[in-house]
Amino acid sequence: MTQAYAKHVGGLPPTARAAFALGMREMLPGVPAMAAWSLVTGVAMAKSALSLGEAMGLSLIAYAGAAQLAALPLLVVGAPVAVTIMSALMVNLRFVIYSAAVAPSLRTLPMRQRLLLGYLISDMGFVFYMRREPQLRDSPMRAWYFAGLGVIVFFVWHAASLVGLFASAVIPERWGLDFVGTLVLLALLVPMLATRPSQVGAVVAALLSLSLAGLPFKLGLVVSIVAGISAAVLVDRRARRIA
Amino acid sequence: MTPTMKFWVAVVGIGLTGIVTRCSFLLFGERLVLPRGVERALRHAPAAALAAIIAPSVLLADGHTDFSPGNPRLGAVIVAALVMWRTREMLWSMAAGVAVYTALRLLWPA
Repeated sequence: MTQAYAKHVGGLPPTARAAFALGMREMLPGVPAMAAWSLVTGVAMAKSALSLGEAMGLSLIAYAGAAQLAALPLLVVGAPVAVTIMSALMVNLRFVIYSAAVAPSLRTLPMRQRLLLGYLISDMGFVFYMRREPQLRDSPMRAWYFAGLGVIVFFVWHAASLVGLFASAVIPERWGLDFVGTLVLLALLVPMLATRPSQVGAVVAALLSLSLAGLPFKLGLVVSIVAGISAAVLVDRRARRIA
Repeated sequence: MTPTMKFWVAVVGIGLTGIVTRCSFLLFGERLVLPRGVERALRHAPAAALAAIIAPSVLLADGHTDFSPGNPRLGAVIVAALVMWRTREMLWSMAAGVAVYTALRLLWPA
């Protein structure tokens, strides 16, 4: 089967349906980590001061685990709406990069399908897509392959998240599961620290965020993120000038 | 604005940030060309944001910074980061972090 596919451009099957199915199949190895992350996000939300309805609404509407975990404490203390949204936006900005990376392959599709597939963009889906990217560059079916990856992520995410919301009632507080949410964010952060500018940016943001934690309305968070980005850009620019 | 209304406005706003960022380049296609500087800033934003969110949740306790080994979150985060760096597997990293967190809390009960 696989060898037959290799004859077609990009190593993908020739039909949309088969490329879609291949994407779904190849996403399966990523499911355990996805499910664990989503489960933990669900538990963290249920363990917070949010009601079950609020937690479910946040999960279903946001569909962005990292942004949900980032926004959760802000929602709980009733931080200003602008600060909460701004923090979520900053965490979600990585989707713009993903969007730019997959856009060339979706360009020829009608707008509605393009936006639908765009909504399926995720960290896991993107990582899996980029693993195959060099072979995919010329395949006309890569959009469907991407959609197959994305659909699995979407359903596993929402299913595991709901399980987490409801299972949290039987999980004792002292297990410290809320801390697992932090570990998830950390696992996302670590691979981003491969370059000097992002390292400097992260350290600046972390230190400022610690020292400004007392500011009202959680404004320290926004200030430290902006300062972190600025520091990273400065280091980046300097390295370029020397090179 | 009542707290309930404020909550839902924020949630819808968070949802919109997800849609706008995901669909940014798909909406405008090749017409959207970001200036180089903006693109670089975008690249660094997620790491800065995650670091700014993680640091206080690990190191702040009752309003003061706790760098002591008696802070189980600190040890757990260091080990989890190392495991993530070496294996690039989120599941292993989380497992290691939880294990260290649990062990440290048993050793130094608060």
